Amino acid sequence: MKAHIVHRAGERVLSRRTVDANWLRVGRNASCEVHLPDPRIALEQGMIVDREGLVYLEGESGSQNITRKTVSATRIQVGVPLEIGPYRIESKAPSEGFDAALAIELMRPVEAASDFATRTSRRTLASVGLSKRGVAWGLAVLVVLVFLLLPAGRVLDLPWSQASQTLPLGDRFWNPGALMLAHQPVQARCATCHDKPFEAVRNGACLECHASLGRHVATDSAAAPMFAGARCTGCHSEHKGVKSTHRDSDGVCVDCHRNLSGRMAGIESGDASDFARGHPPFRLTFPGGDGVLERVRQGAKPILEPTNLVFPHALHLDAKGVKSPGRGRVRLECASCHAPDASKRAFEPVSMAKHCQECHRLEFEPAVTSREVPHGDPAAAATVVEEFYANLALKGTPDSFQKAFGVPGQGILRRAGDPSATDRQGALALAARKAKRVTAEMVEVRTCGTCHRVSRAGEGEWKVAPVRAAATWMPHARFDHKAHAQSKCGDCHASARSKAATDISMPTITTCRKCHAGSQPTKDKVMSNCMLCHGFHDATHPWLGADAKRR
Amino acid sequence: MRHYSILEYAKFRWFKAALVLSVGAAAAYLWHDPPVKPHGGTWLGYTLGTIGAILILWLLWYGVRKRRYSSASGTVQGWLSAHVYLGVALVVVVTLHTGFELGWNVHTLAYVLMLVVVVSGMYGVVAYLRVPRAMTENLGEHTLDQIVLRIADIDRDLATRSLSLPDDLVALVNASVRGTRLGGSLERIITGRDARCPTTLAIRAWPAIAKRLTGETAKLDKEVFSRLLQKRELLEQARRDLRHKAVLDLWLYLHVPLALALLAAVVAHVVAVFIYR
Repeated sequence: MKAHIVHRAGERVLSRRTVDANWLRVGRNASCEVHLPDPRIALEQGMIVDREGLVYLEGESGSQNITRKTVSATRIQVGVPLEIGPYRIESKAPSEGFDAALAIELMRPVEAASDFATRTSRRTLASVGLSKRGVAWGLAVLVVLVFLLLPAGRVLDLPWSQASQTLPLGDRFWNPGALMLAHQPVQARCATCHDKPFEAVRNGACLECHASLGRHVATDSAAAPMFAGARCTGCHSEHKGVKSTHRDSDGVCVDCHRNLSGRMAGIESGDASDFARGHPPFRLTFPGGDGVLERVRQGAKPILEPTNLVFPHALHLDAKGVKSPGRGRVRLECASCHAPDASKRAFEPVSMAKHCQECHRLEFEPAVTSREVPHGDPAAAATVVEEFYANLALKGTPDSFQKAFGVPGQGILRRAGDPSATDRQGALALAARKAKRVTAEMVEVRTCGTCHRVSRAGEGEWKVAPVRAAATWMPHARFDHKAHAQSKCGDCHASARSKAATDISMPTITTCRKCHAGSQPTKDKVMSNCMLCHGFHDATHPWLGADAKRR
Repeated sequence: MRHYSILEYAKFRWFKAALVLSVGAAAAYLWHDPPVKPHGGTWLGYTLGTIGAILILWLLWYGVRKRRYSSASGTVQGWLSAHVYLGVALVVVVTLHTGFELGWNVHTLAYVLMLVVVVSGMYGVVAYLRVPRAMTENLGEHTLDQIVLRIADIDRDLATRSLSLPDDLVALVNASVRGTRLGGSLERIITGRDARCPTTLAIRAWPAIAKRLTGETAKLDKEVFSRLLQKRELLEQARRDLRHKAVLDLWLYLHVPLALALLAAVVAHVVAVFIYR
């Protein structure tokens, strides 16, 4: 198709162009045969093809009209102008040798500022009032004011200190978490603990209330220097919930205790890392032979406890029972003598009156009287015996007299008339001889000596060795018998087989380990960390007395 | 040439860096056995907190760096890639720094602000990966200005052509020419719609009125109506474009101001914890 294309403005001809192509592309693109240089025209708006006469196509494939949905085909007729955007294209009768002649005129030049463009100038978020910078500064200033400057007023003593204490905001927004229940009364008063700004909570702040708290080691002990500079906050962290400020974690203990011997020469405590895998044998505390507390570690050698008693546990725990004065053979149990104390954690001391005397009566002349001598005082017992026989020699009936003294007779006051001086002296001598023999036999063999270690101190004088049975062998262990109530006593204490009064019924760590694992979970065992049995703040140990001995 | 997104920058260099940082922090957290429980005040807590604070300052610096056209410290593309990945790793580091201790306080305020800033940033990344393609598909080779010119041109044409139509149709055309809006309110920009667009209303009302026309007037009416249709199509395109640009922009109105608020909250947090150590 050969075409003649004329651009004009009114009657003025702007350019003439002759093209020869299969079809004429119409568009803003300079390579278009019909070049319409206006921003309102697409790069390739449409095309003019020869289909038995000129046809203008728009929206077909290949063309890129802005309004692509509109597909149109317009036959171009001479004398009927065609509007393409702001242009008007008129077809003229072509000259000889040409297939088409087109006159193109721009009818509506681009408006400098069209009404529509002016009206729709607010097209972005910023143009409708959204702001980044203003909001950013506003928020930042607000945060600094409310959460920094206002709360800091009190603690840094800034000019608005008063306001920061009275306003409901203040430093409560600095509180990182709940205090433990016991500390909650001071929760709103940060300064109770945080008494100096920019300084970590000092031990003094804690000790102000916890004044009587024991140290880990006594302040005068050789280990004390190792704790110089130790801080409460090393183990205790507040604001970590209402329950506790520390965690029962072996790590805190084991850090030091795994190598105590390396930290301090000559230390008696053994190294410990875990109850199951690394824990030294127990150390027992009990009074030694001289009454001074001793602390002895369980080991290969059995430990003998000088209780000054002479009977072993096995005697009473005989499966066939023991003879009792009134009830025939009685089978005794541990509980027959060992009753839980009020706390149920430990036991009341065994008492003669409560636990022994029902069977072990302190009678001295059962044939005549059921009277008993007092317990615990040999001199008083001797007096009771002496007075009894003297009285019998004075007022005894013939039957009693015969039974008591083994010779026929009766109390001299029962005879007619006043007794003579010889009678009186004879009766007194008889009573004294008898009392002396009975007392000696009672103390040394029949009564006291059954249970106690007795020695003769002189004529008519004995010494009964004081009973020194320890109430508890490990006074600082947090052991609770009640927590073990589901077990039988014999599961841990081998007392039923104890044949000597010096045996110690304290089980060894092996017995505990049957049920107690270490800090790692173990099947069918109780996980047991250090804090299950040990405390930290226990500086006062009974075995650390000035005259305590250790072996 | 294949287009590489900022996520793939330098063969995922910053993704790997962020991964190493996150996994390292998580491993340290799991290994760490503090005396009571994990929190910001243990040595690991301080370490993670310091890393977090430095990261926040560095991430904020991106706002400065991207405006420094003459800077030679890496490319902005690399900076953005690092900004995105390390910003996500920041969530891991700071969450572990908190030890999962949250409450109504300045510390958690800083944490929440950090989360909102990062999440809005993630939305921004998704928007930047998706919206430009939609924009190109919408506009083709044209620009919004061209479309506006074209609409203005159609308006002029409509104004002159419609004069020979009956009064009610002229009224519809006039309403469209004088009252059609583009943008102008937050709602219209974001939704990309105008429920009361006079052009749409005119198109809707047009056929009922126009069906009684005959002869020359009917032909003119057809031309005017097709102009209106063209105008509506152009308007829809323009409104979609406004909406696309708004989507690309909107998250920044959260991201940027909250980032500044975060900086303030972090300062308050750090000062507070050191005053009350």
